[in-house]
Amino acid sequence: MIITIDGKQCEAQYGEYILDVARRNNIFIPTLCHSDALPGQGNCRLCIVEVLEGKRRRVVVSCSYPVKGEVEVLTNTEKIRKMRKNLIRLLAAAAPDSDFMRDLQREYGLEEEERFQVYRGEDCILCGLCVRACEEVGIYAISTVNRGITKKVSTPYAEPSAVCIGCGACARVCPTGSIKMKEENGRREIWGKTFALLPCPGCGKPFITREELAYVQAKTGLEPAEILCEKCRQKRAARKMRDVFKDVTMK
Amino acid sequence: MLMFKRKPVKTVLVCCGTGCLANNSRAIYEGLKKRIEESGARASIRPVTKATGCNGLCERGPIVKIQPDDIFYCGVKATDVDEIFERSVLNDEIITRLLYLDSSTGERVKSHRDTEFYKRQHKIALRNIGEIDPASIDDYIERDGYRALEKVLTTMSPQEVIDEIEKSGLRGRGGAGFPTGVKWKQCARVDVFPKYVVCNGDEGDPGAFMDRSIMEGDPHSVIEGMLICAYAIGAERGFIYIRDEYALALKNMAAALEEARKRGFLGRNILQKGMNFDIEIVRGGGAFVCGESTALMASIEGRVGEPRVKYIRSVERGLWDKPTVLNNVETWANVPVIINRGAQWFRSIGSEGSPGTKVFSLVGKVKNTGLIEVPMGITLREIIFSIGGGIPRDREFKAVQTGGPSGGCIPKELLDLPVDFDSLTESGSMMGSGGMIVMDETTCMVEVARYYLQFLAEESCGKCVPCREGIKQMLGILEDICAGRGREGDIELLLDIGATLQEAALCGLGKTAPNPVLSTIRYFREEYREHIQNKYCPAGVCKELTVFYIDQEACRGCGLCAQKCPLGAISGERRRTYTIDETKCIKCGQCRDTCRFGAVKNRGRRHDNNH
Repeated sequence: MIITIDGKQCEAQYGEYILDVARRNNIFIPTLCHSDALPGQGNCRLCIVEVLEGKRRRVVVSCSYPVKGEVEVLTNTEKIRKMRKNLIRLLAAAAPDSDFMRDLQREYGLEEEERFQVYRGEDCILCGLCVRACEEVGIYAISTVNRGITKKVSTPYAEPSAVCIGCGACARVCPTGSIKMKEENGRREIWGKTFALLPCPGCGKPFITREELAYVQAKTGLEPAEILCEKCRQKRAARKMRDVFKDVTMK
Repeated sequence: MLMFKRKPVKTVLVCCGTGCLANNSRAIYEGLKKRIEESGARASIRPVTKATGCNGLCERGPIVKIQPDDIFYCGVKATDVDEIFERSVLNDEIITRLLYLDSSTGERVKSHRDTEFYKRQHKIALRNIGEIDPASIDDYIERDGYRALEKVLTTMSPQEVIDEIEKSGLRGRGGAGFPTGVKWKQCARVDVFPKYVVCNGDEGDPGAFMDRSIMEGDPHSVIEGMLICAYAIGAERGFIYIRDEYALALKNMAAALEEARKRGFLGRNILQKGMNFDIEIVRGGGAFVCGESTALMASIEGRVGEPRVKYIRSVERGLWDKPTVLNNVETWANVPVIINRGAQWFRSIGSEGSPGTKVFSLVGKVKNTGLIEVPMGITLREIIFSIGGGIPRDREFKAVQTGGPSGGCIPKELLDLPVDFDSLTESGSMMGSGGMIVMDETTCMVEVARYYLQFLAEESCGKCVPCREGIKQMLGILEDICAGRGREGDIELLLDIGATLQEAALCGLGKTAPNPVLSTIRYFREEYREHIQNKYCPAGVCKELTVFYIDQEACRGCGLCAQKCPLGAISGERRRTYTIDETKCIKCGQCRDTCRFGAVKNRGRRHDNNH
């Protein structure tokens, strides 16, 4: 079916999220808690748009609003811009120490906060991506705890988690760099737990924790020699590609 | 299958709801039971368990009713047991001093039906409460219980059941007022199985106890309502989600489920009609947000109680992603009556857009606090001044807060507003689940908004940004205003952030969270301005903005205020005048509440500069 986004006709599938349709059509909608790998969270609300359906006009979050009919979408009305600005202002006060939020604040022409309570020393925006990532890996070592204004991301009872494998997926997906992962002398420290790093069978650089290696092996059935660091994995893929297409020449 | 006990000559109903129990009604019940058993009198005692005291008048509990004489005793004490037994159980005498005292006429009233409190009520959801023993399925059956279930199973098709509920115009009593029949129809239409039926008993509004009373006092009406829906949509499993703080509701509901199973109303091949359905109780952990339907379902599934985006409705994908009908306790309790008496009858009660009745818990600054069930469309004035008996100490009515923490405050200009879903929403408040808190002139509206925001800040699930951060910042600004740190532009900022929450928050909690602020600004903007510009709290509540003094002209020198003052901050001479030592005063307001001459006044901080 065809939906209209900011006046542009866009081809869309039934059930597809508006955000995905917009991105495919090079229409920019800002997001914070969205990751292509972990879609549909709907927490940050930055991706709000207005949807006109018949006589009804309402504000929805584009990352989780499925296309069900031939609607008209407006991504950048004055109302939406004003609300987005408020959301960024709120988040910037909640996580003032994040460069990410500071940039966003500047981008939206917001000045230094004067009226809101600013929570110095805080850089987490509670987007929830880390928790989702941990769940997707299948570990469930971290979760949001408490509720309301005391909500935060933590391991159970804020103690080093018994199940954490130190894979670092949470830190990698974090948009504000709030999750601290330290690596030195062949050790990785995260969530109050220290892991020894094992060397890559390809280049010898320490890259994976013993716990993660065991987990990956159990899950994929691969031999330890086949589990490589990211760089070596890329090289291996490139080699494979070369071998497959070795008789093909570019003209 | 249904065996009835022989009707006793006299029935003594002792209210054993949470309210009366707290006033020792158990001892009254035990005492009367013992006297009757010992004497072999021809009466039987039946305990009636009901949250708020008999028929809701917990203000005057413990309550004892004697049938068939239709005697209504209130404020009964354990020491009254012997007299009640001798005079009213063995004989047909009436103990006048225990009868209800009508505060407006000063007369004693024998039957509760003739009291101002009950006269205007219309009981549908509360039809059995205070009349039956919730532990007895026979009591329920005797009053047409499970007759509606029998009727749908023997004479109606699922479609006919849905049509009847839709025609009745019944709307969800949990707050949003969604048409119940439409919800059932949408769910029945989806060709995915299994389907689930859920009862929302996670009543969390401060001061609200409608659902608790129903679950405690008439659990079978909820079970029967769910059974009828299960038949209509083709579900085989149901859940009743009850907050764990409701110990008596949990106990009575569990016992009722067990009884219903024994009698063949639940389980396999119900009433030999081939229907299978059973219900489990799930205990809630005390998060307010779990009263939100999708958070509740997440909680039943064992996940964190957070709402999800609802662009796909629960009737399509609810519990475990299966089609689910979720209704509130009171909605369920209405269903069997509608089936028994018909949609036409139901529509004849209440207003056009909101047929039927609504249960409210009437609390706050009102004489008769308690649980009431009134036809929709009744005015706030009737509820507060006729049923509620008006404001204690003849103070002036200021506002009524409806709809729970995310409802709004309605001022006296709107006292003649008919109470139904649409007009309450239009006024900037909402029906909510039926909390109704009356406020008088000694209530500060900015402080009220601050109080509710504090509650919501703690009870928001914290998942989405507008709700979590927006409430936090709005609360901060309100705290500032109450403490004399309010700034120019604060009102406009509150309105701006509030508007963002209303549209951008994920669930109903966040969308309605700014209501207490927006509605008080709408109707009491001047009071906000006084706080911000003049650093003055007209109600004398915000301590930083209040300075009490005694008007020397008005003071009669009775000295009552000095006696009451917990800090000895008031000194003076009897029959002359008294003064308050401001350095000692903690602004508790006891002197003002005590003074019969209105001599204790609040001059606020604005005059400080003139001193």
